[in-house]
Amino acid sequence: MRKVVTYLAAATAMVSGAAVLQLKMTVQERTEEVRAIAQKIHSDEEAIRVLEAEWAYLTTPSVLQNRSIQFLALMPPRAKQILHDPVVIPFRPRGVDVEQKDASSVVLPVVAKPARKSAKKKSMKGDSL
Amino acid sequence: MNAISTSMNAGLTSSSHAGAEVRRGGIELARNRLIFAVLFFCVAFFGLAARTLELGFSAEAPKRVVQKQITVPPVRFARSDILDRNGEILATSLEMASLFANPQSIKDPDEAARKLVAVLPGLSYADVKAKLSSNKKFVWLQRKISPRQKWAVNALGIPAFGFKSEDERLYPHGRLAAHVIGYSGLDNQGLGGLEHFFDERLSDPDRSDVALKLSLDIRVQYALADELEAAKRAYQAKGATGLVMDVNTGEVLAMVSLPDFDPNNTRGAKDCELPKQAANASDASECGLFNRATQGVYELGSTFKTFTFAAALDDGLVSFEDGYDATKPLKVSRFTISDDHPKNRYLTVPEIFTFSSNIGTAQMALDLGADRQQEFLNELGFLRPATIELGEVGRPLFPAKWRKVSTMTISYGHGIAVSPLQLASGIASMVNGGRLLPATLVHNPDNWQQGKQVITPATSRQIRQLLRMAVTKGTGGRADAVGYRVGGKTGTAEKPVAGGYDRKALISSFVGVYPMDDPQYVVFALLDEPKGTKETFNFAAGGWVAAPVVRNVILRTAPLLGVAPKKEDTGLYQNVAMMIEE
Repeated sequence: MRKVVTYLAAATAMVSGAAVLQLKMTVQERTEEVRAIAQKIHSDEEAIRVLEAEWAYLTTPSVLQNRSIQFLALMPPRAKQILHDPVVIPFRPRGVDVEQKDASSVVLPVVAKPARKSAKKKSMKGDSL
Repeated sequence: MNAISTSMNAGLTSSSHAGAEVRRGGIELARNRLIFAVLFFCVAFFGLAARTLELGFSAEAPKRVVQKQITVPPVRFARSDILDRNGEILATSLEMASLFANPQSIKDPDEAARKLVAVLPGLSYADVKAKLSSNKKFVWLQRKISPRQKWAVNALGIPAFGFKSEDERLYPHGRLAAHVIGYSGLDNQGLGGLEHFFDERLSDPDRSDVALKLSLDIRVQYALADELEAAKRAYQAKGATGLVMDVNTGEVLAMVSLPDFDPNNTRGAKDCELPKQAANASDASECGLFNRATQGVYELGSTFKTFTFAAALDDGLVSFEDGYDATKPLKVSRFTISDDHPKNRYLTVPEIFTFSSNIGTAQMALDLGADRQQEFLNELGFLRPATIELGEVGRPLFPAKWRKVSTMTISYGHGIAVSPLQLASGIASMVNGGRLLPATLVHNPDNWQQGKQVITPATSRQIRQLLRMAVTKGTGGRADAVGYRVGGKTGTAEKPVAGGYDRKALISSFVGVYPMDDPQYVVFALLDEPKGTKETFNFAAGGWVAAPVVRNVILRTAPLLGVAPKKEDTGLYQNVAMMIEE
C-alpha cells in the first residue's frame, strides 16, 4: 500500500511537472503571438495614415474634376435640376398600369447627341430656372 | 488472540495491563489519523494534477484576464494633422525613410549603383557610384523617400543600405488653400499660415493625435480657386483673391489668393516680406507667399457704399424715400467726384446704391459727418488689422487727418484700404441682422459667438433689399445666379500711384451674399489689374469681371452647402423696386 502511494505520488509529480512546463511554453507562445499582433496593428496604423494621405492626394478636387470631365461629362447642376421640396414631384396617376413583369423595364431616355465635352462647361452655367 | 494474551497477562499487575491497553488504542488512533492525512493529501494532489492537465491541454483559453498587458506601440508623429470641416486631410505628418549606405561594406559599387538608380530614378548614376566608391562609413543617398520606394530598395537585398526614419509634413491638396494652411520647414517647424499660428499646439506631443479642424470646406475652396484662376487667366490679371464666409458664424469656408505656392515645395516661392504699402501690393504679384485675402489691403471702391448707407439708414438720417441731386459732378477743393454710370438727375436713395452713384453717396457722407463715419468704420473693425488665426495680416490704410474730402471719398471706398477679409466680415454683419462676428478659420461650434450689434435688424433688412436691387436692377447683374437670390455690390477702384490714381490699373471686385431672403454665405472675388476682353466689351470693372466669378462659385457650391434654389418672393423688394426708375 505504502509503495503504491509512493509510486503514485512520484508519477503525479512528474505528470504535473510536464503539464506545467507545457503550460509555460504555451503561454510564451501566446505572448509572442500577441506581441506580433500588436506590432502588426502598429504598422497597419502607420500604413493607414499613409493610405489616408494618398487617398486625399488622389481625390483632391482638381483630380476628380479632370476625371469627371474625362469619363463622365458631369457638370454643376443647374437650378432647375434641383428640387428643394419633394412635394412638387407628382404621383403616378391612379389607374395607370405599371409594367411589373420585368423589373428592368425602366428605360432611360435615349440621349440624342453624345455628351458634350467640357469645353461647353462654362456656357452651360446659369440657365434660367 | 487479544483475548488470550489478555487472560495470560491477567496475573500481572492490573496497572500494566491497563497501560498496554491505552498504548495500543493510541497507536490505533494515530494510524487512523495518518491514513486520513495521506488520503487527504492524495486527493489534493490528484485535484492539482487534474487541474494542471486541464489547463495544459484544454483548447479553450482561460477566461481570466492576464495581468501583464501587451500594448500596441502608438504611432508617433511630430505634428498633428490639419483637417477641413468635413474631415478631409489638409496636412499630415508621415514617417519617411531616409536612405543611407555604408560604402565600406559594398563589394561592387558599380552594380549597387546601377540597381539603386533603377529603383530611384531621381538619383544620378555617376553621383551614386562616386558616393558608394568612397572610403567613408556613412553616406546619405536620398532623404525622405516614399514607403513604396523603401520597399523597392529593400527588395534589392543589398545589406549595405540602411534607413533612418524622419517625419515629413505633407499637404495632399498641394496649392489648394496653401495660404491658409501655410507650410513648415525641414525640421517640422511651422513657418507660415495656420502652421505658424498654431505651431505650439500642433507640435505638442500630448495632442499630436488630436487633429486641428478648420472651418474650410475643400470643395468650396476648390470651386473658388478654380473660378478665380480661370478669371485671372481670361482677364490677364496680376493677381486675384476671394473668400467664402458663413454670415451667421463668421467661419471662413474658402480663402484663395493667387498667385499661390505649393507648400510641399516652397523653394521656388518668393517671400516678399510684408508689403510696404497698399500701392506696392501688386508688386508682390510674383510672390506666391503673399496672402492677398488678409495681408493685402486694397481700396475696394463702391462695395464700401454699403457701409455709408448702413450708417445713414441706421441713424435715421435718410430713408428710402429721400434722395440726392446727382445732375452734375461734385467739386471739392481740387477734386471732382463724378459717377461711372451717370444718370444726370435727382436720384432716390435706392437708386444711388443700385446705380452706384459716387455723387449721391458723397453727399450722404457729408450729412453723416466725419466723426460718425469714422466711429462706424472703427466699430466694424476697419481701422485696425483684422483678427484671424493667421500671422499674415495687413494693417489698414486710412488718412491720419480725416478731412472733408476724405469723408466724401471714403464713403465710396477710396482713400481707405482694408483687406478683403475685413470687407467680407463687414458685409456679413450688414446682412445677418447687424451682428459683427469675428472671422475664424477654425471649426469650433462651441465657440460661436453672438457678436456685437453694429446696426439694427431693421437696417440690416433694408441693406439686404438694397444689395438685391443692385444685382437685379443695377451694376451687379452678371452675378445673378438664377434661383439663388444673390445680392451684392460691385466695386471698381483705380489703383493709387504717386500723386493720384492710375485710370488704367483697376482693382475690380464683387461682394455677393446669398440667398438674400435668409443670408447664409458671403462670396467675395477680387481681380488685380484685370484687362477687358472682347466678351466684356473691353470693360474691366467689377460688374464685368468679378461678378461672374461670384455667380459661378455660387452655382457650383450652393448645392454642396445645402442652399436650395427657389422662386423668388418679389414682394420682399417691392417697396425698394418702386423707388428705382430705370
